Amino acid sequence: MEAETSAATYKPGLIAEETPTTDAVARIPLGKMGIWWFLASEIMVFGGLIICYTLFRIQHGGWAAEAAHVNWRLGALNTLVLVTSSLTMILAYGAVESDDRPRVVKYLALTVALGLAFLGIKSFEYTHEIREGFTPFSGLFWSFYFMMTGLHALHVTAGIVLNAMLLILAKRGTLWPLRQQRVEFAGLYWHFVDVVWIFLFPLLYLV
Amino acid sequence: MEHAEEVRSEYLTVWKWLVALLIVGLAIVALPIPKIAAVGLVFTVALVKASMVVRNYMHLKSEHLLIIAIVLVPVIFFLGLMLVLIPDIAMRP
Repeated sequence: MEAETSAATYKPGLIAEETPTTDAVARIPLGKMGIWWFLASEIMVFGGLIICYTLFRIQHGGWAAEAAHVNWRLGALNTLVLVTSSLTMILAYGAVESDDRPRVVKYLALTVALGLAFLGIKSFEYTHEIREGFTPFSGLFWSFYFMMTGLHALHVTAGIVLNAMLLILAKRGTLWPLRQQRVEFAGLYWHFVDVVWIFLFPLLYLV
Repeated sequence: MEHAEEVRSEYLTVWKWLVALLIVGLAIVALPIPKIAAVGLVFTVALVKASMVVRNYMHLKSEHLLIIAIVLVPVIFFLGLMLVLIPDIAMRP
């Protein structure tokens, strides 16, 4: 009964006739299934890091003095940039759904630009911190800080590359009719990167 | 086309909420309240923001049960690991 309900409420979105899917009941595109499995493994990667950081922080009395040196204003600005890029990414997906090609190009370009802005701000932050003498070897807090934000920045970089590839395909017009589903898959990854930052920001900058 | 506009405005509303919650999170830290309460509130706000992104932008609210299960399992592992290990550290004499 439950399977019937979920199959009925499931909106397949951009599934084309020739799209390979899981079984006939679920009808989940294999690409989407794959990206969700990948994201599940990523939850464990970042989750493990967050658990280690939290436990070490409790054990070492809060690291308040070290955490006071990070620039929360730039962190907040980066949060705004990433949240806005999530909006432009979902708008690109919406434009794909309504077959509004110029808007797909516009929103994908904006997403790439905002991703680059995020990395630019993060680089500025790193430069400032390293100049002040805070490197990954300056103590446990800074090791965690550079490890977690660095790994996240690598994920942002991968997302930018993916979105840039989609942007090129969209500009050439070769995203359609078979590749448009990739915007949804890349979007899922991009939103996940945003969700990770939503937790990293208070964890490293605010508390 | 009207439907597309409706969906677009829905996404925009979610973004406005996310920005508002970002400001709320920043304001909580500035409040003269005990640190433990501030930490709890800040992470509650983060949790609300994350769930908004996951539900609305990643469409988990209308997604198949199988995909919801794929996401929930590692989240449960994460929370379980945290809950099991925290007492060991926090209650150490």
